Amino acid sequence: MIESYAILPCNGLDKCAGAISREIAIKLCENAGNEMICPVFYRVAETKYNKIAGEHPLLVIDGCPTRCASKLAAEKSLKISKRITITEEAKSHNIKLSSGLRLQENENTLVELVLYELENAHDNAAVVSIESNTSYHFDYESFQNGKFIFRVPGNPQIYFNENDCWAYVIGNRARIGVTDFVQQNLSDILYFTPPEIGAEIDQFGEVGEIESSKSVFELISPVTGKVISVNKTLEQKPELINENPYESGWVAEIELTDFESDKELLIGFDKYFEIIKKKVEDLNG
Amino acid sequence: MGVEREKIDWKPTIDYSKCDYCMECVKFCPHKVFEVNENEEIKLIVRNPSNCVVFCRACSKTCGPDAISFPDKNATTQRIKEIRKEESID
Repeated sequence: MIESYAILPCNGLDKCAGAISREIAIKLCENAGNEMICPVFYRVAETKYNKIAGEHPLLVIDGCPTRCASKLAAEKSLKISKRITITEEAKSHNIKLSSGLRLQENENTLVELVLYELENAHDNAAVVSIESNTSYHFDYESFQNGKFIFRVPGNPQIYFNENDCWAYVIGNRARIGVTDFVQQNLSDILYFTPPEIGAEIDQFGEVGEIESSKSVFELISPVTGKVISVNKTLEQKPELINENPYESGWVAEIELTDFESDKELLIGFDKYFEIIKKKVEDLNG
Repeated sequence: MGVEREKIDWKPTIDYSKCDYCMECVKFCPHKVFEVNENEEIKLIVRNPSNCVVFCRACSKTCGPDAISFPDKNATTQRIKEIRKEESID
């Protein structure tokens, strides 16, 4: 692990995954430089931990998808630098966790694997992101609901799915992202989980996540293909998605493999503009 | 999708052997797909499956005990395309 972190673990006594997150946090803090934030004590005495969180990048260790530790970080307006979720780590390593709270052989194996990966994280950046030099132009139309303005680009090269993601298609590449509907609903976006460079994504498959204190949004890819680039700036500045989800807040670039087929289930500006208006009306009664 | 929502089989399925009724999914979903019945033995049901946004799996991402599953995405995509084809022939 290159940096020394402030570590905010789930510490849950509700599930085995919580006990694992606690164990990993303790082991990381046995190494010099890393500092623990106790999630229980943080709720009642935040001064000490705000100082620690201000001095180090924050590593959040969630036990399960309920993401209590992430939610606590959002509640305290802490910026998350890195996050892992134990149940997802268990799945990716094909390790079945027990239902008890005591760590057994499987759980200890997972602890060691996660620690190893965190320690060696800097070795895993071998795959290069190839961002295109294409210039993208957006012609927006917008509507207002209360104090919120929703913009939708009307360029014919831009396609949408009904899951509020867009694809700007040029040749055999598409730049993708979320629409204004998503960023307005999530409000302040605090964390971005990028897709992996080189990952093969199916149309309607997951292509990253964004998260605010309100909710988590799974990006549903409008297109099929290989991820060739991600917007790395979002990892440090996820708020760019709020500022402009079409331009500085783009998410990834995909090398298309079957766009003619993908297109069948995508919609253009006219249809999406209708849909987004209706969604906004429905949400606001 | 160009197909009536009712014809698309896309909805969450709850595994009651795992569900701990934390209701995170209910809090998360703005589309009223779920219904809570506090006085019933089964306290949580999928009440409005057609309200579920096709290909959205976000509620399952909030589920700590991993009790929510969805149909196979590729099979659903394929089926939607088939229905569109059948309807264009009719």
